[in-house]
Amino acid sequence: MTDTQWPRFMVFQQSELDEPFVHNGTVHAPDPEMALMNARDVYYRRPKAEAMWVVPAESIFSVTLEEQTSKEWQQEAEGAGIEKEFHVFAKFSHQGQCEQIGIVSANSHEAAMRLAIETYTDKQVLWWWVFPSDAVMASEAEDTSSMYDPSLEFDYKSQAAYPVVTMMRQIHAKGKLEE
Amino acid sequence: MNTKLKAKLAKYLIAIGDDELVLAHRDSEWCGHAPILEEDIAFANISLDEIGHARLWYEIAAELLGEDKATYPDQLAFFRSASQFHSIQMNSLPNGDWAFTMLRQFLFDSAEVPRLEGLVESSHKPLAEAAVKIRNEEIYHLRHTSAWVKRLGLGTEESNRRMQVALDELWSYAQQLFLPIDGEVDLVAAGLVPDSAEIKSAWLESVVPSLEQADLIIPDEGPPPRDRSVQTQHLAHLITEMQSVARLEPQGRW
Amino acid sequence: MYGASVDDFDLDQEENPEQLANFEARIARGEKIEPGDWMPSEYRRQLIRMISQHAHSEVVGMLPEGAWITKAPTLRRKLILIAKVQDEAGHGQYLYHAAETLGATREEMLDALLEGKAKYSSIFNYPTLTWADIGTIGWLVDGAAIMNQTMLARCSYGPYSRAMVRICMEENFHKKQGQEMVILLSQGTPDQKAMIQDAITRWWWPTLMMFGPHDSDSPNTPILQKWGIKTRSNDELRQDFINQLVPDLQALGITLPDPDLHYDDESENWITGPIDWDEFWRVIKGDGPVNKERMAARRKAHDDGLWVREALQAYAEKQAAEAMPA
Repeated sequence: MTDTQWPRFMVFQQSELDEPFVHNGTVHAPDPEMALMNARDVYYRRPKAEAMWVVPAESIFSVTLEEQTSKEWQQEAEGAGIEKEFHVFAKFSHQGQCEQIGIVSANSHEAAMRLAIETYTDKQVLWWWVFPSDAVMASEAEDTSSMYDPSLEFDYKSQAAYPVVTMMRQIHAKGKLEE
Repeated sequence: MNTKLKAKLAKYLIAIGDDELVLAHRDSEWCGHAPILEEDIAFANISLDEIGHARLWYEIAAELLGEDKATYPDQLAFFRSASQFHSIQMNSLPNGDWAFTMLRQFLFDSAEVPRLEGLVESSHKPLAEAAVKIRNEEIYHLRHTSAWVKRLGLGTEESNRRMQVALDELWSYAQQLFLPIDGEVDLVAAGLVPDSAEIKSAWLESVVPSLEQADLIIPDEGPPPRDRSVQTQHLAHLITEMQSVARLEPQGRW
Repeated sequence: MYGASVDDFDLDQEENPEQLANFEARIARGEKIEPGDWMPSEYRRQLIRMISQHAHSEVVGMLPEGAWITKAPTLRRKLILIAKVQDEAGHGQYLYHAAETLGATREEMLDALLEGKAKYSSIFNYPTLTWADIGTIGWLVDGAAIMNQTMLARCSYGPYSRAMVRICMEENFHKKQGQEMVILLSQGTPDQKAMIQDAITRWWWPTLMMFGPHDSDSPNTPILQKWGIKTRSNDELRQDFINQLVPDLQALGITLPDPDLHYDDESENWITGPIDWDEFWRVIKGDGPVNKERMAARRKAHDDGLWVREALQAYAEKQAAEAMPA
């Protein structure tokens, strides 16, 4: 029997309500509802989240700076589909992640990409992503507390809980731990 | 609150703390062996939350009994014999397959949520405050396990069959969740904890339709549940394993 | 589109010298290579090999420590250990993702692991025999891994580098947790002291082997350094690790199982005796103490989980079919 690890979903996380969604990684899940839960379980453990989106990996179209000038994908940009909304994400620095910058309306992924590149010209973008808004499964505001509030504060979750530098200093100086 | 009532409330909290600790132990056995990587992570979260809940209940019990809050939870977990635990039998049963594990978690969480709704109203303030925090986490557990129960029930013939087998075994064990804990009558009268009968009706109201929608048949309740003082042999083995390192050096720092 | 399969890439394509020069210039400028960018097929191949091997190591690495979760001696240690093993699953998850951006699928990578075609870190083919092993793995094994990972966090491939930044942050936690345990045991009762001495004795040499063969026996290193994947050699990293660990372990009263270990004033390095590379190659080739048990456990989890994965897939397909307009 062939294995299935389920489809891939891209995960986007919003840390504060007025901040953009930022790409965080992927999860495998059988469907969007489970993807949202898996995203919570994989990515909420550290930095705090206000909300999350999951988007099927295959509905994201991406173009790097290097690909931006290639004519290949631009030939596809004359789509004849129905016009709909696309989210535009961009990566601005080599260390950074793709983050939400706006919405364009277009009739194909490629057309949305071309429009995004023409519209958002103020900063150099290293990597563009577009995906239709209707591909997004978003967490509900009312679920924020049960989904994303940090778990009960345990002493094991902070670096300060492990005073190993102090402990080693005591041992190097006195040959034993202070009580 | 008089000393007698305090002792009864502490006993109640230790019993529901034991439920959490024992189930957390079973859940933690999946860590590294789950059906998919995402679930290794998700199920570990549930296990971590439950240990946290057990610790919180034990800490409140410590305060009621005048014990040291910092050390009492470990004393309860590692230095009582299995016969001194008051957890329900269901949580000590070996994990079986993923259907059994998921369904047990679902049945348990479905009772936890109404129990916590009641405890949020408790007249003992530290208890009510802890219940608010724990309730948030249990709501998420229930969301996760409900999604799984629906999918396994309706997925394939095999998954439905395994779920039905699990339900047939677990249903009568689950009834023990609603057997009044020793001293509960006085605690309910003092507005400290909810009535088990009310938890049961809330549980049935939520669990029965979910299971039926998952194409599962509700079995008979079976014989009346055992008292919480009667433990399975599985618990004895579980506790021996859990305490094996701590008891090597009871006074040691680990 | 984003989700590509490795079949979509021609791994044996003729390399265009102009593209190659441009690619190497980008790496020299410190730019990150992203999934859609042109890259030599050898770069893609080496990365898939390294990243998937690294992901497998995290997943197999859950087993030796996971075995002690149910026996942790305090509730705090139990929480710490579950969270740690969980982090390892998370690291496997991030790393498989990084490899997926190169066109490998998780199904293919897991198949390769379970069929014994893919490697994982040999350190996990050693057994965990006492609770003291948990502290030792945290401080020594994770400490050694961090040396490598800190280097890889600066590597030229964007998704791998970003996964590593996140992983390093969490591994630093694990290292401190392990160190705290080793300190407490080494300052504890006689039995606790004996327990930690035994654990360090068993784990010391395998940990040093984790950095891989000497530079002279490491065929991939030059090309990996040229393309900004590895920026330091196995021997450099190993020496740094030894210099960090030896003084602390000695201060704790722990004896290292190496009669030749000495400090060299001139180079300011701690010099160890010879590493038993026969053992290293033997374990890599499958003849370590618990290779068979580790793979059997992974295979069992995978096989036992198949009906679960299929059931959820079937449910999703039914839902999607119902949602389709007739």
